[in-house]
Amino acid sequence: MIDGGEDYDQLIVAVARSRDRDAFARLFQHFAPRLKAWLIKGGAADAAAEEFAQEAMLTVWRKAELFDSRMAHASTWIFTIARNRRLDALRKDARVPPIELVPSPLEPDRPDALLEGRQDAGRIREAMAALTPEQAQVLHLAFFLDQPHSAIAERLCLPLGTVKSRIRKAMLKLRVLLEQEGGR
Amino acid sequence: MTERPSPSEERLLAYAAGTLSPPEAVVVSACLAMRPEIDGWVRRLQGVGGAILDDLDPTPLQQDALARALARVDADTGEVVVEPPLNDMPELPEPLRRYALGKWRHLPGGVSVRDVHAPRDGDTRVILLKIAPGQATPKHTHGGVELTCVISGAYTTENQAYFAGDFEEADQETLHQPRVISDEPCLCVAALDGQIVLDGWFGRLIQPFVRL
Repeated sequence: MIDGGEDYDQLIVAVARSRDRDAFARLFQHFAPRLKAWLIKGGAADAAAEEFAQEAMLTVWRKAELFDSRMAHASTWIFTIARNRRLDALRKDARVPPIELVPSPLEPDRPDALLEGRQDAGRIREAMAALTPEQAQVLHLAFFLDQPHSAIAERLCLPLGTVKSRIRKAMLKLRVLLEQEGGR
Repeated sequence: MTERPSPSEERLLAYAAGTLSPPEAVVVSACLAMRPEIDGWVRRLQGVGGAILDDLDPTPLQQDALARALARVDADTGEVVVEPPLNDMPELPEPLRRYALGKWRHLPGGVSVRDVHAPRDGDTRVILLKIAPGQATPKHTHGGVELTCVISGAYTTENQAYFAGDFEEADQETLHQPRVISDEPCLCVAALDGQIVLDGWFGRLIQPFVRL
């Protein structure tokens, strides 16, 4: 995806191929401040969010070889790394395996698997733009806050049931928009 | 096509966002390993997460952030990956294979329970349950939420039958007594939040001895 003249997919590939520090620096400058913002929106303190962004980007450096641009966009891949890290926060013991979402290897018999991972970014934004403001709000909050339901209900001063049904409606709408025509 | 019992949309969203409690996430991950169509949806949601991340207003970093990051990657010698050994149950879906397992505990009524040493979250923990054909768990309610994914065999509650890969969410309001309807034992993975509360005089009688 080209965004502001940068092709982040290619930057990750450059890190993987030649440990390209300059490419890493450009990835860092785009994603680290956004990773920090993501954590802060979820209620993390500034220093903790900064450290989280550092750690997540170090993982990007380490795992760049695993990035497959046919499977996911740079932003999706980096989001998944951050998501795995976040879920991992409670894991104190390195001998306990992490709960990771890893890109599934390409399966020749499931060509649609490709599209599930790498979906047109414009299409995702279109689908999100089709949500009502209330649905978009709960969806955003659900991506930021721990304990989404109760925390969102508290923040919006809404009954828990209302929040749940809004999330459900938002998800159903996304499903319809993103799953039609096999996601193409 | 009838709807198979599956994780709710809110739970899948929390799983995709990484905000689900780890014990619950373990049970969801087992379910996804058996249900490619749900797994595909969660991967699409990762794309939504990526778009949201991309669109966030950046929060300024400390001035030396990039210098520190570069110093870190320069000094980096790679991650120490400790690959835990596989456990002794090859019949488990892949995400559960590397968790250490406790000893089987055999409860009255053909019910066996075994701890899965996944990360705990407060009172919530992960267990494997194996129930013999024709048997039922004691009738019970829950202190909190109980998530169950069937790995093999099948059980039924008052309202619904659950087969391999199916997912049940029960909460405080659910009073249920799952009964096994398969010829083989029914093996499930469950995340329990809070204590199971057994119902009836017999339940109350054995409760002190049955720590599920």
